[in-house]
Amino acid sequence: MSQSALPVAKQTFADTEKFIRDVRERVATVVVGQDVVVERLLIALFSGGHLLLQGVPGLAKTLLVSVLSKSVDLDFARIQFTIDLLPSDILGSEVLDQRTNEFRVRKGPIFTNLLLADEINRAAPKVQGALLEAMQERKVTIGNETFRLPAPFLVIATQNPVEQAGTFELPEAQLDRFMLVHRLEYPSIEDEREILSRNAALGIQRQDRGAIVQTEFDVLEKRPVGSSEELVRAMEAVHHVHVSETFVEHVVDLVDRSRHHPAVELGCSPRAGISLIKASRARALMHGRHYAIPEDLFALAEDVMLHRMRLKYEAIAEGVTGRAVLQELLRSLGGSGAGA
Amino acid sequence: MIALLLALLLQTAPPQTNIGVPGRIMQLVLPGTELEPLPLDVNSPIVLRVLATWPHGTELRYDLEYYGLEAGSFDLAKYLKHKDGTPVEGLPPIPVEVSSLLPEGQVQPNALEPTALPRLGGYQKTLIGLGIAWVLGLAAILLVGRRRSHVERDRVRPRTLAEELRPLVQAALEGRLARSDRARLELRLVEYWRRKLALQDKPAQEMIMQLRAHPEAGALLRSLEEWLHRPDPPQDVDLARLLAPYEKVDMAELESAARA
Repeated sequence: MSQSALPVAKQTFADTEKFIRDVRERVATVVVGQDVVVERLLIALFSGGHLLLQGVPGLAKTLLVSVLSKSVDLDFARIQFTIDLLPSDILGSEVLDQRTNEFRVRKGPIFTNLLLADEINRAAPKVQGALLEAMQERKVTIGNETFRLPAPFLVIATQNPVEQAGTFELPEAQLDRFMLVHRLEYPSIEDEREILSRNAALGIQRQDRGAIVQTEFDVLEKRPVGSSEELVRAMEAVHHVHVSETFVEHVVDLVDRSRHHPAVELGCSPRAGISLIKASRARALMHGRHYAIPEDLFALAEDVMLHRMRLKYEAIAEGVTGRAVLQELLRSLGGSGAGA
Repeated sequence: MIALLLALLLQTAPPQTNIGVPGRIMQLVLPGTELEPLPLDVNSPIVLRVLATWPHGTELRYDLEYYGLEAGSFDLAKYLKHKDGTPVEGLPPIPVEVSSLLPEGQVQPNALEPTALPRLGGYQKTLIGLGIAWVLGLAAILLVGRRRSHVERDRVRPRTLAEELRPLVQAALEGRLARSDRARLELRLVEYWRRKLALQDKPAQEMIMQLRAHPEAGALLRSLEEWLHRPDPPQDVDLARLLAPYEKVDMAELESAARA
């Protein structure tokens, strides 16, 4: 756990800092605010995890992912999940080539670097299952052939917390596959003002003999600020971030407490601990450190742990929220009792 | 023929009951048209009831119930009549015996003989005794339960922050801090500052960021982080200076700060 390859990694750290700064600046040219979301996206990208964004429509989720993919020179695909979507619509299928009378594999949109699974809870469970299986195994079987997914491969799924009619809620076991679940908030007043003024400045784009009103997607800079090579170096740098034994103790303590809280029916799995450490390493790097500290743990605990905890029915009936329980767990860390 | 055999059987062993106790004669085949009991007479020593009637070839089969009001031998056939009014002829005798539990001539039931209660001291004293036992039992339950809950509470009472911090700081200064204790020390110090700066209501993430930005707490916590988390911790860490503020933690001061 405690790899300290500092001499090797020093240059890598410096390069990565510049890469991260450039990406954040590029994203900021189109998306206002949402610094935390951008940070979470980069954490997922650098640490090879997947991210689920929960938020009401109109919070620039798609734009954010789109600009990120263009900033880092990654292939990007978007799938709008609907009730009639089939697994083959995502993974691909065998089609009969009538000229040769042979089956030919047609790869689906999952063969990309950055996949935006929009409104994942609208698809049937078998489609969700197919995607989540591919997310974990990073390979897809079509017919008799197995194909590896491109590297890096990151799924950013979105889920609307309202309008639950006609949706299929992801069960805990499948939510566990997402390293992070980030809950988007509305922008601040200042950010909202900036969004409106930027949008008002967008013009009209002439097209053929007519014209269309420009959107933020039309002004995305096509030229990437970072190459996939730089991304690989960033991933390596994350791997070199030091995780002390003390930090591991904090993680173990927190995960263990989540299993013994009286309001919690299902605590965090060991995968939560692994994800906490991976994500903390990436966050440490993004904050210019080559070692993880409790601040990383405190900052990421909600996104890593909340979707992995299930409260008891009695607690829910009493109005206890997962967020409140988690705050209590974080406050009690290191103490002798749950609420110390 | 059957009736005759039955009559012979009844003659040999007439059914016997006590006064007022009902007796039954079931599936009795009697010749002639349907029979019913004679109307009740206040002086009649037998009360007779026909429970059910079934056809039985050219005859009828009956279930009869009776009880005697006087002791003696009676023929139930004498208490029956044909429903269609034809005279009762050719009925075999239906003898029954009714006996009395009381001696002959005694009409009133036997008087109750007073006997001593098996309980000590009679009913009133028993009640008093039970009352005293109930009060003593209740008192015992309350007192013992309370004492046990005191003991239990003392046993599981979480240690205060000061009680947790002191040995950890002492062990750190003496250089004998175990790995798990290092983790506890760090997070207990975060808790110390959280209380001291009254940041209890802040979410954990916001709280720790504020602590790290605080001029006094931030410097101390960052130094501690470097000591605990850096792969190449600074060699010149002055632990005594770093932990000096926590050596004598004043809980009263902490709590008053928290309340403020």
